[in-house]
Amino acid sequence: MNIIIVGSGNLGSSLAQKMSALGHKVTIIEKNIRATSSLPRGQINSGQIRVIHDDGSTASAMIAADIDNAEVFIAATGKDSLNGLTAQKAKTIFGIQHAMTVVKDQDAKNLYDSLGVTTINQTALASDQLTELLTQES
Amino acid sequence: MYLVIVGGGKVGEPLASSLINAGHEVFILDDDHETVTTLQRELGMVAALGDATSIRDLSDAGASRADVLIATTNFDEDNLAACQLARNHFDIQRTIAVVHSPENAELFERSGIDMVVNATGLILANLATTIPSHPLIRLMPIGDHAKELVAIKLPAGGLLIGRKLSEITLPYGTDVISIITSDGKSKKPDPDIRIESEDEIIALSPTNSTAELWVLLTELR
Repeated sequence: MNIIIVGSGNLGSSLAQKMSALGHKVTIIEKNIRATSSLPRGQINSGQIRVIHDDGSTASAMIAADIDNAEVFIAATGKDSLNGLTAQKAKTIFGIQHAMTVVKDQDAKNLYDSLGVTTINQTALASDQLTELLTQES
Repeated sequence: MYLVIVGGGKVGEPLASSLINAGHEVFILDDDHETVTTLQRELGMVAALGDATSIRDLSDAGASRADVLIATTNFDEDNLAACQLARNHFDIQRTIAVVHSPENAELFERSGIDMVVNATGLILANLATTIPSHPLIRLMPIGDHAKELVAIKLPAGGLLIGRKLSEITLPYGTDVISIITSDGKSKKPDPDIRIESEDEIIALSPTNSTAELWVLLTELR
């Protein structure tokens, strides 16, 4: 599959490595050059991970990432509303098959889920897991 | 009417002030402490510190009984999220948003925001009117951006000067609405009317043939 990820923070870069290791073609869009330095050189050099230094919320960056030939688009910046706008643009303007995003707030998850963007709430995931661990211990 | 404004900056503040003067009930939400303090000093207790994209903060601002939400923050993503929450969560009937990046205007309109104010587009359109050549001015999009209202000024020495309107083959689907002469009078676009130097043609043009229309009307002899 061709996967586009916007944002090369902890989440975006770890996701890019895993998906690329599974054999998918990953394009990561990140405007901060320093943020992409932690991506694995090997996978970049072999072309498994392509890096575009640009604002991933813009149409021009999406086109540079060859969005017309991508199946999955994941908005993974650190800002919920920016993720929401970016994923909706990929879906509404470019008609991507699967638009996904990761947010920190449950209200944002409810909103973007209802708008057809598959949304993960990372805060809820972490707190669920912590609760589960603590419950097992006691 | 009760209006909630998110973003109390250069646009939100004067807007709130004029709405209050017009007798409306207004509440402003802004995430900057200093801005809120200034708003409270100038306008009274009609502003609070809060996040435009937070349901709790919008709710505290009275969003559930608002008739209109106007989003004027400096960030397109926050304006979009505020309007979408207003519609989907608070069932506010009318949403208005400022969009800064022109390319986001289409997404805003397609996401159901009732009125999208394209800040950059407005500035460009205003600047274009002050450029003394023979510019193309896009006055407004019509319908789903399929057509647009445009104004095109004919250059002195243009190929079409002196021709009758009926003699000009316009791009398919183009309607001339009016002709404004250089002294500001308007002429009805009858087939027999002659095009004069410096005339400004107001036309309804299919968006994808506007460039063709511009080339046709501004071609020089």
